[in-house]
Amino acid sequence: MSDAATNAVQSSGAAAVPEGWQPHIVALVCNWCSYAGADMAGTTRLEYPANVRMVRFPCTGRMSPLMILRAFEQGADGVLVSGCHPGDCHYVQGNLVARRRFTIFRSLMDFLGVDLRRLHFAWVSAAEGHKWAKVASQVTAAVSEVGPLPRFSAAEAWDSPQLPSVEGTGPEELSAADLEAIQTNLRSAAAELLTTGRVEKVVGYRSGSMPGQMVPVMVTSAADTTVLEWGDGCVNNLAAYATTALEDAAKVALVVKTCDLGAVTGLIRESQIERDRLRLIGVQCPGVRHGGDLADKCLSCSGAPHPICDLVVTVDGVRESCADPDVGVAETEDARDVQIAHLETLPPDERWRFWQRQFDRCLRCYACRAACPLCYCSSCISEKHRPQWVPTTIDNRGNGAWNVIRAIHLAGRCSGCDECARACPADIRLDLINRKLALEVESLYGSAGLDPSEKTALIDFRMEDAEEFIL
Amino acid sequence: MSKVGVFVCHCGENIARNVKIKDVVEFSMDVPGAAVTADYPYLCSAPGQQMVIDAIREHGLDRVVIAACSPQLHEPTFRAAAVQAGLNPHLVEIANIREHCSWVHRDPEQASAKACQTVTAAVERVKRSIPLDPVEVPVTKRALVIGGGVAGIRTALDIANSGHPVVLVEREPSLGGNMSRLSETFPTLDCSQCILTPLMVQVSRHPNIELMTYSEVEEVSGYVGNFTVRIRRKPSYVDAEACTACGDCTEVCPSPGSNEFDMGLSSRKAIYIPFPQAVPSTYTLDADRCLNANLQSPTGFRVLACVKCDEVCKPQAINFDMQPEIVERSVGAIVVATGYELQIGQQAKECGYGDLPDVMDGLEFERMLSASGPTEGEVRRPSDGAEPKDVVFIQCVGSRNPKHGVPYCSRVCCMYTAKHALLLRHKVPESRAYIFYMDIRAGGKGYEEFVHRAMEEERVMYIRGRVSQVFEEDGKLKVMGVDTISGKQVEIDADMVVLATAMEPTDHGKIARTLRIATDTHGFLKEAHPKLRPVETLTAGIFLAGAAQAPKDIPDTVSQASAAACKGLELLSHEFLERDPSTASINQGACAGCFECLQVCPYGAIESQEVLDRDGNVQRMVAWSNPAMCEGCGLCAVTCRGGFIDVAGYNDEQVFAQLGALGPVPEVFRR
Repeated sequence: MSDAATNAVQSSGAAAVPEGWQPHIVALVCNWCSYAGADMAGTTRLEYPANVRMVRFPCTGRMSPLMILRAFEQGADGVLVSGCHPGDCHYVQGNLVARRRFTIFRSLMDFLGVDLRRLHFAWVSAAEGHKWAKVASQVTAAVSEVGPLPRFSAAEAWDSPQLPSVEGTGPEELSAADLEAIQTNLRSAAAELLTTGRVEKVVGYRSGSMPGQMVPVMVTSAADTTVLEWGDGCVNNLAAYATTALEDAAKVALVVKTCDLGAVTGLIRESQIERDRLRLIGVQCPGVRHGGDLADKCLSCSGAPHPICDLVVTVDGVRESCADPDVGVAETEDARDVQIAHLETLPPDERWRFWQRQFDRCLRCYACRAACPLCYCSSCISEKHRPQWVPTTIDNRGNGAWNVIRAIHLAGRCSGCDECARACPADIRLDLINRKLALEVESLYGSAGLDPSEKTALIDFRMEDAEEFIL
Repeated sequence: MSKVGVFVCHCGENIARNVKIKDVVEFSMDVPGAAVTADYPYLCSAPGQQMVIDAIREHGLDRVVIAACSPQLHEPTFRAAAVQAGLNPHLVEIANIREHCSWVHRDPEQASAKACQTVTAAVERVKRSIPLDPVEVPVTKRALVIGGGVAGIRTALDIANSGHPVVLVEREPSLGGNMSRLSETFPTLDCSQCILTPLMVQVSRHPNIELMTYSEVEEVSGYVGNFTVRIRRKPSYVDAEACTACGDCTEVCPSPGSNEFDMGLSSRKAIYIPFPQAVPSTYTLDADRCLNANLQSPTGFRVLACVKCDEVCKPQAINFDMQPEIVERSVGAIVVATGYELQIGQQAKECGYGDLPDVMDGLEFERMLSASGPTEGEVRRPSDGAEPKDVVFIQCVGSRNPKHGVPYCSRVCCMYTAKHALLLRHKVPESRAYIFYMDIRAGGKGYEEFVHRAMEEERVMYIRGRVSQVFEEDGKLKVMGVDTISGKQVEIDADMVVLATAMEPTDHGKIARTLRIATDTHGFLKEAHPKLRPVETLTAGIFLAGAAQAPKDIPDTVSQASAAACKGLELLSHEFLERDPSTASINQGACAGCFECLQVCPYGAIESQEVLDRDGNVQRMVAWSNPAMCEGCGLCAVTCRGGFIDVAGYNDEQVFAQLGALGPVPEVFRR
């Protein structure tokens, strides 16, 4: 297909199906049910369209979203994932965990503008030869209707839709004197912790080289606590430094805002840090600013420290934890939610173009990964060469794969600190992607919240999980 | 560079009719890595296999692709051929161009294009296959049999007689199961207890059998050859060693209640022996009924501290302080023989079951006919104790009724109803027996003859049709039905009605959840293959016997029990088991230690391990997958964000290459 034709498809908004075009569909099937079901269709001599090519897996649980992405990258116009009916899994629960993964992956694909007529999921048992033939025909018909997969590229001469902005005040305003008081209290609390030997290190903020900028600092002596500062420039999520800080210290205190706690919990949950080696200093937050404006995440936050903190620093002084959990009060609608809702009203091809535009800017600098407290793997899937699931090329194919897989890896885990979006030099709205999946996970499976003993949604399952979309 | 041999099978006309074999062979030659390509009319034939073997040897092939039928059929054949030629069996890949291609796509162009791509993908995949050796695990040479009915008894005896220890677990106080309730058995009319009790005694005396009655399997962990079973032993409050089964305790016990062994047709005390020939021959104190306030039971009705049984027990066998006990056993094989119960569904209720005392189910009637039953073998109406003259038997109550019951046939009802009618005629010679039936399914040795005996010698009236309702009128049961042969309404004034209700698995197949094995939609335990592997489950090392798998009669149950024993023995005969080497392996050097893999593993195969530094200090914790427990599902591999887990046989590189090869149809086939 020529570029001109592709652009024609993209700009017309409607699917133009070229004459004589045959869709190319890749099916990922499990060995025990769907592969055998397809065998049964053969044994029964049921005819179905020849567009579907099969790859055999032991279980739907072995199928990774990376594999679906790879199929699309390799030119598949549609992908079908098929496995055993719930309760029939040869491996007891493989398909049930997979069901959650694919539910979330499907929502992400939808959000990124992939027409859902390209992505299908089915339960076909070993005895359901007829069902296999029917599913193969249905999927072929659906993909035929939607046409060839649009190219992974940003359309020329196309303006991204403006996302709505939300007016909000955010946390209670703190005067300069208030901030000064908080800062003094914070310094004394840190000094106290260090002199009594309860911690060996305090991770906090100090002034950066730019006016109002704050940068992370690790303080090891009471005398040095005077460098600690507090203000609306304290954007960094210091949870990202917890693991490093604990490498050569038995106990560490971490200065935290309420929005940082999800990441701290995540790290504890995932055995990266131990709670009892950590003192959490929750500080009353004025809301953080990046580039002048109050961050979106702050608009619906009260700024009050969360009760799971060990010490609470406010204007009034320092307390051992806080009694009244006056936290996270949503006074304003979450700005990100409003923007997500707006994107969802657009037709899929508009969303596709929006995100292709966004991904087109990606430099693959991995600042998002570096800023994310929950990206802690020693080596990243994006650097894996055998095989190279994530293309290293800086084009929309590679960029899309990278951003999709990062979102999938964070689904159910992301704490919504938006550090990735802040760190992104290309201003890609990673916060919207992560927030979208967080909302999706929460509405379907509930949130693990700030309890580290709770499993996150995507490694868990319930027999009765929603599956309306599964054929 | 790999040297791959591609062999394309015609399967006679099966593949060759729709797939252009020549095109596939030519196309395969150009796939990078393909060293030899050939075709043959029947590759699975001896000369076909020999061709593959010769080619491997002659050309020094290190990988083989067989483009033929489904791997579910001939993968083992060609793997064996590869082994014969000195090649690791896991370096053989099957491209399914029959079931997935020639049989389902009639257009030769499209079928050929798909076949070419399938072969290409297989070549790309096999190039990345790794030679794998089977995982060896030791076998615990002991079997667990769950259920002490005739199936469990037969299995336990067969395994024990072969010299292997068996743990037999039964939840009731005595062995025997449903068969011990039966009167006489069709078609020979042997007395059920007379043929069963000698086996029960054999079990209790067998040196290789550890019998645990009044016990239930609570938890099973481990894997084939190496299961660990936790068994809850309920307290019987009677010391079985001391009890002489004199029965003095029962005489003084003030707490009567319904006797479940007699299907509620008689009563028993709180301290009881289920039936005289019970094995073990000891009394049991039912904590739910005992009036002694010291016993721990959620439902017991406690008014006083009754100790009457204790007072009269001369050997002082009563022990109110007995506690439930959890015992653990290691076993290599498990046979599940948990049997059936009768379903009282909507249709039984429509026939008056539960409301009308003289409407009973098959097992209740069995107890009535049994010489050891509540009436000592005399047929009596439960309502007034009168001898019934007109008895109506209704078959298929709930069975073969997808709307209001179960869709399946319970298989034994035709026969036992004929037997019931025949025994009724023997015991009450002047009685009349009527049977409502849908069909007569008498497909066993001597069965058809038996039904004819009932019809011809005993003049049992068979009415083909269904009963719409049963109600009481003037002290009689009015049975309203239709005779579908004459097309006429039938109305019978009966003294008693016996319903052949549907069989269903005990506790709806609850045991399946404990064992993590599959069931069908009705809760019957699922066999690995309905025809070829009828006593195995898909979980290696767990076997099925008796009505827990599907409704069946005694001969079939006993055959299956022996078959299950044989399968179990096959397993126990090995010192080591070879397990499929398709397992997960973790790159511990890269593992970040989040342990999400450990949490998703359905088999508990992943453990955390310490990584020590030079001084022996713990540096960090990483995950490790035990190949002896891993089943190779791959859940962990996808959970691992860094991609540090791979599954042998389905490794990332293979999948990646396959997906790459399955891009859009090659230009040569686009016409």
